[in-house]
Amino acid sequence: MSQLAVNARVVRALGMRSVRQTFRRPQLIAPIIVFPTLLLAIQTGGASSAVNLPGFPPVESFLQFMLAGAMMQSLMLAGNSGGIALAVDIEMGFTDRLFSAPIPRFAIVLGRLAGTAALGLFAALWFLAIGLIFGASIEAGAAGALLAIVLVTAAALAVGGIGAAIALRTGSASVVQGLFPLVLVVLFLSSAFFPQELMIEPAKTIAQYNPLSFIVEGIREPMISGIDADDTVDAVLAILGIVIVGLLLSDRALRHRLRVG
Amino acid sequence: MEATSIPAPRVALELPAWRANLATIAALIARAKNELLRVPGAAIPGVLAPTIFFLGLNGVFGGLIELRGFTTGSYEAFIVPVSMLQGAGFTGAAAGVNLARDIEAGWLDRLLVSPAPRWVLLAGTVLAASIRALIPATFVLAIALLLGAGFPGIDGLLIAYLMVAAMAAVAACWGSFLALRFKSQSAAPLMQAGMMALILTTTAYAPLALLSPWLEKVAKVNPVTDVVEAARQGFVGSVTWADTWPGLLALAGMLAVLGFLALRQMRRTAA
Amino acid sequence: MAEAIVVAGLERAFGELRAVQGIDLTVEEGEIYAFLGPNGAGKTTTVRMLTTLLLPTGGSARVGGRDVVKEARAVRASIGVALQEAALDPLMTGRELIRLQATLQGLPTAEGRRRADDLLERVDLAGAADRRVGTYSGGMQRRLDLAAALVHEPRVLFLDEPTTGLDPVSRKTIWEEVRALNDDGTTVFLTTQYLEEADQLADDVAIIDSGRIVAEGTPDSLKAEIGHPHLQLHLADGSVPEAETVLAPLGRLLPPKDGKCVEVEVPNGAADIPRVVRALDEAGIAVESLELVRPTLDDVFVAKTGYHLEQESEENEEAAVMDA
Repeated sequence: MSQLAVNARVVRALGMRSVRQTFRRPQLIAPIIVFPTLLLAIQTGGASSAVNLPGFPPVESFLQFMLAGAMMQSLMLAGNSGGIALAVDIEMGFTDRLFSAPIPRFAIVLGRLAGTAALGLFAALWFLAIGLIFGASIEAGAAGALLAIVLVTAAALAVGGIGAAIALRTGSASVVQGLFPLVLVVLFLSSAFFPQELMIEPAKTIAQYNPLSFIVEGIREPMISGIDADDTVDAVLAILGIVIVGLLLSDRALRHRLRVG
Repeated sequence: MEATSIPAPRVALELPAWRANLATIAALIARAKNELLRVPGAAIPGVLAPTIFFLGLNGVFGGLIELRGFTTGSYEAFIVPVSMLQGAGFTGAAAGVNLARDIEAGWLDRLLVSPAPRWVLLAGTVLAASIRALIPATFVLAIALLLGAGFPGIDGLLIAYLMVAAMAAVAACWGSFLALRFKSQSAAPLMQAGMMALILTTTAYAPLALLSPWLEKVAKVNPVTDVVEAARQGFVGSVTWADTWPGLLALAGMLAVLGFLALRQMRRTAA
Repeated sequence: MAEAIVVAGLERAFGELRAVQGIDLTVEEGEIYAFLGPNGAGKTTTVRMLTTLLLPTGGSARVGGRDVVKEARAVRASIGVALQEAALDPLMTGRELIRLQATLQGLPTAEGRRRADDLLERVDLAGAADRRVGTYSGGMQRRLDLAAALVHEPRVLFLDEPTTGLDPVSRKTIWEEVRALNDDGTTVFLTTQYLEEADQLADDVAIIDSGRIVAEGTPDSLKAEIGHPHLQLHLADGSVPEAETVLAPLGRLLPPKDGKCVEVEVPNGAADIPRVVRALDEAGIAVESLELVRPTLDDVFVAKTGYHLEQESEENEEAAVMDA
């Protein structure tokens, strides 16, 4: 069997473990899905009059606008949670067992990311369902839904890479856990919850250059108007950017961990 | 090691009950401060979280102020009382988490085996939270004032602080109830999320008329809406009794219900 | 003499599990009473009921003349308790902890401070009194726990496994302190899984197994009940089963402690030694050493429950380590 095929099998096995772990413990999934749903409900209810503001993009409802932000929040929490799971593996010594096996080091990270991607996929489906149930339609139809799902899953992978890098570098679950509030901060400084043009400085300017804004808008456009090539490309580039950063950081962190032990 | 004799007489001096109870409550409050002062960095999340939420909400939803329906021109002024109350909710819930930790560590047994009445033990936790909540409230208020929210006047300020202290007590009763019921720190998310939901399903983001229909209905029945409005008055206008008493009544009601539940649970620890 | 603790038919069930199944006992004022048994026997559950931390599901108990259910508060005011999990706060200093305990007991501030200083001196923690409890060793934490339990000069002291996990020196220190307290008239109810502790300290011992008292009396009377000494023979490896076959007709075999040793009760004591040695010799079994052992509380335990206490506890401890 070729080396590539062997590696693929390893990644698949670790990936399945990661996915099983993720969905076997509902009390861990709940915050990733429930908290953003709660916030979605509250913010949609509280700030829905925003659609009357001059300059607000034409939408069917505020919910339609907010769904992308909720998905974004979920996938970031999923990335954080994947990082925590990897850190726990490190603390428990499970990764040592993997390191001493004849498998490529990177398979360990990729396998873990599979769980995060699965969670991202679940989040995308969940919020699409919520949207449909509560009357927010998707302008671009099935194609738009599919694009949103792909972008969310890819973004989950990208963010997961950052989470994994932090886990590998610190080896501590409580440190990774402590970054959870940072997720909210970073999202506030993007166009996840409000159109960037209508935000208040300095959040407005930060949101303009925040890569998360590009990703959110790439997910949002198919829902509120239609698939836009520019927005989609921007989103993909932003995701790739984060993927590359994540890969670089993970690689360095992995080397550090193998050196330090 | 040599044994020294126990001083005679054998009968211990004891204080009258009311003095002993007050002294116990004071001692439990004093112990609660160790968490902040003796654990490096422990105070930071509690103080920063409401401020971060304030800055975030302001940055994101600040544009709403342009809409007709707001009685103030400053979104900072509008939401700072909400952030102060959020800090209270967070602090109270954290008191519940600490109690759960004390239960898991067996510390509560020490308190339960003493002759101190159960309500005294609960009062220590709850009052400590009320006092602690004033810290994040002051921090976020200071930031809001710097960002242009007008000073609410002495009366507005005092009422806001009163609402904060009482809300923290409500949250501490809720957290304590859950801690005693589940005897585990895993109930922590429920403590925090419960308070968050309670405080934000009100006129937190916008006046009643601008809320979407379902939230308008919820906010109308949610007692915390009255608390938010009472805390907000000085910031958006003048302080009146008409705006104050509903908030006081709401807090009294919530304290009565959640306090009762928590105390009952404290009494049931031996069951 | 008055009765410090009276228990009648005390029961505690947790759903299906019956942790304590009908216990009767009486502890006289001024005595040291030990509850001896392995982990899970029901010792801690019993103590928690007697100290009002747990409600019985059957039976009754009176401590210091007060009913533990109906007069719980009065009971709490008159007892001192040091639980198995030393209920300490790592962020407090030793001095702060004892002062807090004094406040909980209703002592005036000045009196509480004075007693705290005295007690810290007494348990040899005066030097560490202003350090955080989190920095104390296990032995220091136990001594602090004991000191805190004494701050209001209780008539009855409950100690739940006071020396479990301590090194031998710390253990002896606690024993000395318990004896000193008892000399001053304090009634002590202690639970333990250490035979030596019960043997050394207690005026009366109750052996508890699976929620029931299976034997009760002074250490001497319990041993006399068992009566017969036994021979402990250390053999060469692997010959234990053979030896057991050979010795079975000569005396009562006791359950083996380990793989190299066989124990047989001999009705005539030392006079039976020649017969035993001859029988083994004729069977070609080599004896490395031989010892005539007089009855201990372990023998009493074995006789009443069918297994060795220390072995059981060791196995439980091992199991606990493996599970961690």
